[in-house]
Amino acid sequence: MSAVYVIGAGMTNFGPAPDVEVHELAREAAWNAITSSGVDPEDIELTYAGHAYQGQCFGQKVLMKIGITGMPIVNVENACASGSSAVYGIVNAIRAGEIDIGLAIGAEKLSGRGGGFTPLVPDDLESSMGRVMPAVFAMMAQKHMSRYGTTLEQMAKVAVKNRRNGSRNPYARWTDPITVDDVLSSPMIAEPLTRLSCCPVSDGAAAVLLASEKVARKYTSRPVAVLAAVLTSGKRTPHGMVDDRSEMTVRSAEIAYARAGIKPCDVDVCELHDPFTIAELIHYEDLGFCKPGEAGRFIDEGRSEIGGDVAVSPSGGLMTRGHPLGATGVAQIAELFWQLSGAAGDRQVPGARIGLAHAVGGGVTGLEAGACSVFILSGT
Amino acid sequence: MNAKEKPQASPATKPIRPGLFVERPRPLLLGSQCKETGKVFFPAQRMNPETHTEGTMEPVRIEGSGTLYSFTKVVRGLSGFASPYMLGVIQLDAGPSLIAQLEGWQGLALKEGMRVELVVGQIKQEPDGTALIGPKFRPVPA
Repeated sequence: MSAVYVIGAGMTNFGPAPDVEVHELAREAAWNAITSSGVDPEDIELTYAGHAYQGQCFGQKVLMKIGITGMPIVNVENACASGSSAVYGIVNAIRAGEIDIGLAIGAEKLSGRGGGFTPLVPDDLESSMGRVMPAVFAMMAQKHMSRYGTTLEQMAKVAVKNRRNGSRNPYARWTDPITVDDVLSSPMIAEPLTRLSCCPVSDGAAAVLLASEKVARKYTSRPVAVLAAVLTSGKRTPHGMVDDRSEMTVRSAEIAYARAGIKPCDVDVCELHDPFTIAELIHYEDLGFCKPGEAGRFIDEGRSEIGGDVAVSPSGGLMTRGHPLGATGVAQIAELFWQLSGAAGDRQVPGARIGLAHAVGGGVTGLEAGACSVFILSGT
Repeated sequence: MNAKEKPQASPATKPIRPGLFVERPRPLLLGSQCKETGKVFFPAQRMNPETHTEGTMEPVRIEGSGTLYSFTKVVRGLSGFASPYMLGVIQLDAGPSLIAQLEGWQGLALKEGMRVELVVGQIKQEPDGTALIGPKFRPVPA
């Protein structure tokens, strides 16, 4: 089995791009990844393209703009984990020895779909009956608050931290700082989650190039090794999506830590799936950064800040960078590539060596959620 | 279309999905039950996903009594939904749980664990005015 390395990354600015077609956003991200790596476009042997709502043969429409046609292209839909599922596909193809160089693209354009919410999924029963995502996480927040005494202020601190981090990220949707009071006094969406407790709907694309051990060092002196790439799906749960933990995050992380041969305390930088403030707190516990019930104190003590135990979402996370669904999972790997190769500019986590990316996607009636991915990467 | 051809007064109603519930003589949910394990599923399943068995499921009418496991007021909903609306996780006494809208919650002090009962009501309104109806739950104050 070949080891797998990230050798290049690119993305577009995340935010509203009403006048740019989604294939063009994805082309820009893919081209940035290709040029940053120095790979000849003709040497790319396989592409996986992740998105949730962008139609048929998405990857083909992107790559023909660059002028690379004819290769195998797999288009992947796994809701908000579509992008990370695309990366997963490339990692496995390299591991299997099928290819030496592969491209993973994630993209989404939500402008023009109306409203501030991710579109409802009409073929899902609960979704068609009004189960919007903010409501699910609002109920998760209430469960976590009543079981562990987590406070609204502690949740709001997630948004404040991620805004501070994201303000140094040139790709991020938001850049202006916010306070706990701003978060708590912004308009209510689903009690107790306010608008600033929710990630902004965005357009955008991201891409990463991955390579086998055989060729990685031809392109970069600082490849980033993929120590673990884990994809799982949600199980049937007694109360569907509403719980004070994410079982599939716990399960995915345990597999990933075992494969990488590391412990949670070894993680220096984490790109965490934070569509809502409460999600970040719950996932601190799920990923083992602290014990169940201690997430509120974990953020109070600044342990997830850059400079703390583990820098969580130096990119700003979904909360500040923005969340173009299919793009997010790839943007997380791009951010870790930059962080672990010392190329993250003003938001660089000093001395970052081990990174973890975590994505969750999909609301399915009866399941905890659709898909979960955990990647562990290491600088070299 | 001239004025005479326009649909008149009482707006049309339509189930949000076929085969989900009956309204009369009283509201009941349409699910399935495994004749081997007795487990009840909602919505109905063609095979038992817990035992991976086909051919053991029978249609069952499910009583709509249950408890409120969790709830939230959705202040800003999507178009077609009358916001604010109350959404809850309902634990049915018969076994299954589901996320559905509450009805008649205004003015009540909702609590986790309180009793609820099934009603059939408007879930959302289509752009053409059609009311999509389906299962909702009314809190039963103790």
